[in-house]
Parts: sequence; structure tokens; C-alpha cells
Amino acid sequence: MVTTTRPSEKTTHKVIGTRPIRPDGVDKVTGRAIYGADVTLPGLLIGKVLRSPFAHARIRNIDTGAAERLPGVRAVITAADLPDPDKGMADVGEASATYRDLSHNVMARDKALYQGHAVAAVAAESASIAEQALALITVDYEPLPPVLDLVEAMKDDAPLLHEDLRTNELGTLSDKPSNIAAHARFLKGDPAAGFAEADVIVERTYTTTMVHQGYIEPHASTAYWNADGKITIWTTTQAPFAIRDNVAVLLNVPVSRVKVIPTEIGGGFGGKLPPYVEPLAAVLSRKSGAPVKMTMSRTEELQASGPTSGSRTHVKIGAKRDGTIVAVEASLAYEAGAFPGSSVRFGSLCMFAPYDIPNMQLDSYDVVVNKPKVAAYRAPGSPAAMFASESALDELAERLGMDPIELRLKNSAKVGTRMANNIPFQHPVGNVKVLEAIRESDHWRSPLPESTETRKIGRGLAMGFWPNAPLKSSCFATVNPDGSVTLVEGNPDIGGTRASLAMQLAETLGIPYEKVIPQVADTETVGYNDATGGSRTTFTGGIAVYELGQDIKQQLIERARILWQLNPEDAIVYEDGTIRGPKEGQQLSFDQLAAQLFKTGGPVVGRASVSPKHVGFAFGCHVVDLAVDIETGKVEILRYTAAQDVGKAVHPSYVEGQIQGGVAQGIGWALNEEYVYDEQGRLVNASFLDYRMPTSLDLPMIETILVEEPHPPHPFGVRGVGEVPIVPPLAAVANAISHALGHRFTDLPISPRRIIETLYP
Amino acid sequence: MRSVKYYAATSWGDAVATLAKYPLAKPLAGGSDLLGWIKDDLVGPKEPRWEILVDLRTIEGASGYRYSQGDGLRIGALTPLSTLETAKEIVENYPMLAKAFAAPASPNIRNVGTLGGNINQRPRCWYLRGPEFSCYKKGGDFCFAVTGMNQYHAILDGELCYIVHPSDTAPALLAFDAKAKIVGPRGEKTVPLSEYFIGPRVDVTRETILAHDELMTEIQVPAPQPGVKTAYFKATNRETYDFAIVNVASWLKIKDNLVEDSRIYLSGVAPTPYRATIVEQTIKGKRIDEALARQAADQQMVRARPMSDNAYKVDIAKALIRRALLEAN
Repeated sequence: MVTTTRPSEKTTHKVIGTRPIRPDGVDKVTGRAIYGADVTLPGLLIGKVLRSPFAHARIRNIDTGAAERLPGVRAVITAADLPDPDKGMADVGEASATYRDLSHNVMARDKALYQGHAVAAVAAESASIAEQALALITVDYEPLPPVLDLVEAMKDDAPLLHEDLRTNELGTLSDKPSNIAAHARFLKGDPAAGFAEADVIVERTYTTTMVHQGYIEPHASTAYWNADGKITIWTTTQAPFAIRDNVAVLLNVPVSRVKVIPTEIGGGFGGKLPPYVEPLAAVLSRKSGAPVKMTMSRTEELQASGPTSGSRTHVKIGAKRDGTIVAVEASLAYEAGAFPGSSVRFGSLCMFAPYDIPNMQLDSYDVVVNKPKVAAYRAPGSPAAMFASESALDELAERLGMDPIELRLKNSAKVGTRMANNIPFQHPVGNVKVLEAIRESDHWRSPLPESTETRKIGRGLAMGFWPNAPLKSSCFATVNPDGSVTLVEGNPDIGGTRASLAMQLAETLGIPYEKVIPQVADTETVGYNDATGGSRTTFTGGIAVYELGQDIKQQLIERARILWQLNPEDAIVYEDGTIRGPKEGQQLSFDQLAAQLFKTGGPVVGRASVSPKHVGFAFGCHVVDLAVDIETGKVEILRYTAAQDVGKAVHPSYVEGQIQGGVAQGIGWALNEEYVYDEQGRLVNASFLDYRMPTSLDLPMIETILVEEPHPPHPFGVRGVGEVPIVPPLAAVANAISHALGHRFTDLPISPRRIIETLYP
Repeated sequence: MRSVKYYAATSWGDAVATLAKYPLAKPLAGGSDLLGWIKDDLVGPKEPRWEILVDLRTIEGASGYRYSQGDGLRIGALTPLSTLETAKEIVENYPMLAKAFAAPASPNIRNVGTLGGNINQRPRCWYLRGPEFSCYKKGGDFCFAVTGMNQYHAILDGELCYIVHPSDTAPALLAFDAKAKIVGPRGEKTVPLSEYFIGPRVDVTRETILAHDELMTEIQVPAPQPGVKTAYFKATNRETYDFAIVNVASWLKIKDNLVEDSRIYLSGVAPTPYRATIVEQTIKGKRIDEALARQAADQQMVRARPMSDNAYKVDIAKALIRRALLEAN
């Protein structure tokens, strides 16, 4: 693998920065790890969901009688079996929803709002019986005109999804029903005055279509509602505590009655934050008195989980002849799906964050349409927005005759620069360093291959920004007599976080990595932890294990004091895993002291609970070389290099993996992935055959450059790395194709069809 | 998935008799497509819910191939594609066929997917494959592609139904003038593959001449001839695990630099593998150069009748025809 690490000045670490084997690796490669669908219990029933064939329909009546009478069927439920919660705001990670919307999304109440919307569910003694039972349920639908297009949905006379939805217009609720859930604005300076000073103005509209996270493991949940009222849920989720809290509200039971046990998880990317089948499995279990397992098929995943928004973004950039950007304006509209809550505001915040621009007006519109309710997807909101802004900047560089890196360097934000929301960068950020890293890279300095008559070569560059999220983490650890440390934490391990947290604890304690035994606990074993999401687990979890390490060190010092019979004022030092007393030669290794803990008061248990305020912002700069076959429209990625400010790479291999994975998803988004709806709102490509994610053969080895600009509030300088790498590829690929063909591509995906239709109109 | 009965056939005769006896029995080869079809519960007035799967893989001798210089190549219909794409005799004597055998799906699917299955698979139309669409093929009364999303549908010979033929191997075998051996209740017969496929105007619910109780047992490819040049191209959205937007297989017999005879077939453009007869006529007796290749491709595609979203396939088909002619030159 071609990887360049640009280490921070101080490299005194012993564990951090090494590449040990992950603790969960053997179980995963040998098939022993228990994923969502692997859970089984005595008397287990299988649950299945009946889904709406209509994108928009009123539900007049549901007759479940015949299904209930089918032998082997143990329970049938509809929305009538669920409470109808109020409009309080639910925690669904980096997206938003009210509890009522969440409930109505889990099971349609009066209206089906997208094809695949759940309308009933059954639990039966086999999957086959459950499927037969679904076919026996009669739903009386009154089909309504579907609202599928953003522009159409925003019109005054568009059919309404929700008769009671009023636009939150810049903070004030409007009085007329609309499909526009919210219009927000970031305003800085005086854009009109800024544009008056501009010598060059670039202005275009960009669109993207709905795409899916494509995690390899579909949703799978097993619930058991015990006769004593206790609900236990085994589920594949990024957010066991949020699932617990949401299920409690959706089922109107106290949080203390719900226990969520996270299974191993095969990817999430934001799509495994909200509840889908968990509440249904629980209600089916209550009704049947048996545990119920529900898994979603790939078709159900694509039709009815939480993809990310299709978008339409208008951008206008004004600059002086020397490249100084004087003003920007943008208007972004994102599909929220069937219920409000897209990430459009995040998108508008991110799109010009790498730059110091005096005058900005960024308007964002959250629009409901008859498609699945969107969920978070890796840096939610940013990729589509920065596809627009970074494409426009590339065009600006072209118009000015400037190098795209020089244009970006000239306008770079620095500490003190205020973002669109007027919040200044308080800590050093790596936006300049990633640009410089690309400028100095072998890739950027290598000439492009020659184009031929039918194979056109292009190079494209783009930046990406994501603020990351800190949120809350808690954990505890026990020192064992053999010198090992059992770490109990609460974040499902998607990207190697057992390893990254164990490494940070080992570093803190000055003991070998192998001595730390991490485990992911359920919601009754460990304190509250926010989701594995927002690129936060290694960051906030790292602060937590560091604090935990300090707690253990302090307790070990006190145990040594007991052993050595020293006074409280006698200085004892803990350094590199060794405890030293004030007398010459008075010292114990971590292992030696651990072996004597039972003689000094029992085991040492450390704990920490943190909620850091200062998260480290993430920047990446990517460059891609590609070839376009102008006769078949096929794009071949020839070379790809991603530079990213990672703060401090705790486990460089996993950081590289995060970057490569994000790039792969971004390239898929740019070239091939798209939700194809027919005019009735039926998703016609709801399979991995027809919804084309890239395969390994579609990608070259993705080169990574790890830039380490430490984030000072973190003890090791860590910043989150998982999300931002999906941001730059959309614009980088589009810019490269534009250079190859001499035509600006503003709509994704840039599929063979799009290229041929553009070249031969 | 609902339950179905499974029957392991012991001979071709046994399989035919079982199919003849049970109207709701369906022959099973690799199963990579058929099981998905059943799982998706694709049924309609003319597409029954299959209840019995008759496994052909258990028939002795159904899988395997043999080659001789005199007789050419004979391939058992149940032979996995992955066996064929790497077979020394095929790679050496029919390199274009080896390329076509390696073109479908992904390596995993080619390990179970058979040659017979690839030739006889149902089309990939997303309306045919959507349980909610009662289209002509399933016995309904509508083609949803005509007014719907038709970017992957037919540009040639569409009528009533606008599916495209999905097989990557069929055009290559047709270019070699292969034959299919068929077994049925009245015994065996051998038919040219060029008479094997039927379009919607003959019977919209079927894609081949096979009756319910007939089975393809073998593919016969004539011995290689001297002076023959071949080419195979497949245009896709993705590098692997994808059906063709267009594919082209060409077989050109060249003598003294002039085209003496040719067979050129396309898949992915019409309901059956499409023979580019205008191309063949245009190049006959001529020496192929860039201009002739362009002229031949353009003239062939004058026949194209694209719909709202699939005109780009005409451009891609022209390009692949040109490339096939020039590579074979």
C-alpha cells in the first residue's frame, strides 16, 4: 500500500501509531462473531413486514383476520398496536426527527408515504408462514398523487404529504401547509456589496440523486418482551442507547424496562442510527409471548431504510482577478423523504468552511417527498453541498487561469476565521496542510498519460470538510491480577474502535496493547454512550479512556502507598507503567502491583464519563486521474490520492481504511449509484445488481497521505477521521471528467448514459 | 421464501418425464437466477408459481466439455462458466468464447452459474423483475418500459415487450454458428442456435423455442477455421457483476484481406440476440478500414428505434460494432 505519513513533531508514543491486530479480528474472519441475524433463542418466531406498494396513499382499512387465522401465525400488528407519541425531538444521530414522525415511519398510521412504508407486521413459526400471512392481509388504500421531484414538491399547489406541516421560515412558523419543512439561512457580511467588487462570477445549479449507505449487513433485530414487562432487544445498531431511548418512547414504557444488546455490526455509515424493526419486533413479542426476530431483505433496505437525500444546489461565487473570493451565495434544497429532517443545514454550513470568505448567504430548504425518510450518511449533508461548491471553485480556477490548489490556498480559512454560522475556528486546522501535501505529492507532480482520440484523460481536485461530533462517552476498566486490564465501553465497533480505544488506554497506562481486553457492553452494563457516529468514537472514547487511565493510575499510586506504608505527602510517581516511591529502588511494575491488589483492598476499577466541548474539525484534499471512453461513456479511475488531516493516527491502517472506504463510496456516488423511481414513485432498481455500488475492480488502490495537525484539546491530538473522506470524491471526479471532456458535468451520477447523452445530444 | 419441492433428476429422460408430468415443475441448473425469481415471487396470469424444482446437476454427464480438431467443441449445458472460461482447449482454440464465458456476473456466480443457465435465463427488465408490475411477460396487458424508465431497454426489434436479451454468451456462440442439442418427450434433436431464440411477436411469455418439458442438453461449436478473426466487447456501467448495456461478438472470415464471410451478433439491444445483417452485407467482399466500419455500424443502427431514455445505447452499439470490426481486421 502506498501510504505517506507526515508525523507530528513529537513522536514519543509507544502504542499509538503502531498497527496491532484488532481484538475482534479472529472472531470475524473465522465466522464466530455474532451479527444481528445470528441471534437465536428458544421458541424464536420470525417477524415480517407488510409494506405499501404505493408511494402515497391513504390507508382506509386494514383487515388482518385471515392472516391471524393462518396456522403458525402467532401475532399480527398494525399501527393501532403502537402508541401515538407526541412531537418531542428524538435522538437519531446526525439527523433529526420527532418521536411522532419516528413512530409513523416505523409503521404507517393514516397514510403510506413511500413505497415500502410498513403498514402491518406478523410473527409466525417460520419465515415461510410469515410471508404467507402477509399475503392474507387486505389493505384498503386510496392512492394519492405522489410527490417525487424537489422542484415540484416546493410549489404552492403541490399535493401535500402532511396536511399539518408548516414551513419553519427562518425561525417563524408559516401559516400555510407546505412540503417545505424548513427554510434556514446563514448570513455573513454583505453579499450584494461583495459581488459588486467581483471581476469574475461563476454560477451554476448542481443536482444529486438519492443514494444508499450500502452497508453489507441488513438490519436485524430480535426482541423479547418478557412476562414481567422487561424488553430485551438484540440488534445491529450504531446507537444502542438511542435505540433504547427511542423504543421506550415509541412503546410508551420507562427506559428502565428496555435493555439493548448490540450485536457485531456489518457497517452502518449513519444508516443504523434510527429504529426500524426494533419496536415492531418488541410489540410482536408482547402479543405472541415469544421472542421475535426480524431481518430486512436488501430490497426492503433500499426501499424503506434511511438513504440520503437527493439534492439541488444553486451556487454563485464572485472573485477578484487575483483569485480573492469576495462573496458567495448558495441555495440548497434536499429531499427529506417522507418526514422532515434532512441534513441540508449541515450541507450549507460545510460547503465553504475551508475558506475565508467575507460575504456569504447560504439558504437551505428541507423538503418532504414520497420517498423513504432519509437518515445520516457519512458526513451527512456535506458531500452533495461540496460537490456543488468544489465544482464551482474548480470552474472559477479555470476561468481565472489559476492553479486549483493556489486558488484554495489563497482563500484558506485559518484560526479565527468565522464559518458561515459565525463560529470561529478556535484550534489549528489542517486545511492548508492537506493542500500542501497534495501539491508536494508524487501524484500531483506526475504528468497525466496522453489522451487518445477516444480515451480522454483528466485530473480533478477537491476539498472536503466535516466538523465531526464529540457527544458523550463513558467507560470503566478493571485491573486484573495478571496485569491485564478489562475495558468495558459502549460503542459498537464498526471501524476498529476496540483496537483504537485499547491502544489509547495502553498508551495512557504505559502497558502493552495486548494487555488491554476491550469489550462492547449492553445498555445495562455501562454508562450512557452516544452513537458510533460523527467520527467520534476514537476521539471522545479516546478522551474517556485517557481519563479512565488517569483514574486507574491515581488508584494504583494509592495502592503502592499502602504497600510501601508511605504517608500521604510522600511523592509517588507513575511513569511508563512503573510506579516509583521516594526511596532509592522503591519501584513496582504495573504487573507487580496488579498482582498485589487483592492484598491492598481488592481490585482497582477505574471509570470515566466525558462530554468534550472542543471537537477537531476534519479536512481532506483529494486528487484523481481518470480516463473517459467517449464512445461507451465508461469512466476508469486511474489513480486516486487522498490527503487528510487526521490529528493523530492512533492505528494508521484503520485510518487508511476509513479514508479508502469513504473514497470508494464517494466514487460510487459520483459515477453510478442512484435511486431510480418511476413516475408512480416505485423504486425500480431495489437490488445490489441494479443499484450499482463500485466493486474492487472499479477502483485503483487508493493512496493515502495522513497529515497530522494535532487537535490540542485531545490528549493525543486525535481528530475524527471516518466521515470526511466521502466528501471530496464527488467534486474531484466531476472536475476530472470536466477537464477530460471540456464540458462541465453538474448532475450526478455521471454514468455512461449521462456522458454519451451529453457528448452526442 | 415459500417452500418448494426438490427433485434430483437421475437422467435426461427422468428430468423430461418429471417436467412432462408436473406443469408446475421447473428445471434447476445453477439456480443463481431462478431461486431469486422464486424468492421475489414473480407470478402472473402466464407465469405460474413454480412448486417443484427438478435439479439437472445430478444428471451424470450433464456437465463437462470435449474438444477435437475434427468435431470442434461440445459443452454440457450444466457446465459452470468458470470451468469454461479457463479451459485450455477453449482459451487456445476459441479465445473469443473464453472471453464471453468470463463476461457474466462475478466469479462467485460463474462458479455456480452454468452455460445452459446463462443462455436460458430470463431477462433482467426491472419491471419484469418487480412483483408489483403485471407486464406482458407475466401475462399482464402492459409494457411499463414504454412509458416508464427505459434506459436499459430495447433499441431494436422491440414490439409489445421491450426486454433485451441478457446473455453474454449467446452472441458469442451464435457468431460461431453453434448448435443446441435438445431433449424432449419425443427424443433428441439438434437445432442451430440461430433458430433457438424467439421474440415477443412469436410468444411474449417465452424467450426460446423450448417447450415446458424440453431441455437444452449440449452446445456444439464447429471446429475453428483458418482465416477467421473474432472479437468480443461488452459495455457496462460497472467492471464486474453487471449486465451489458450492449455487447458485440464478431466472427469474420478473411481471405486476401477481404471479408469472405461474417457473423456479427449483439446482445443487450433487442429481445433476442440480434444479428447485424446490414453490417455483414456492408463489409462482404471488402477490406475493413475505419471508414467502412463506421459506415457499416451507422447503417445498421438506422434500424434502431430508441425510446425516451435509451438513445445512448445506439451510440454505444455503433462504437462496439466499429471496434469489433477493426479488431478483427
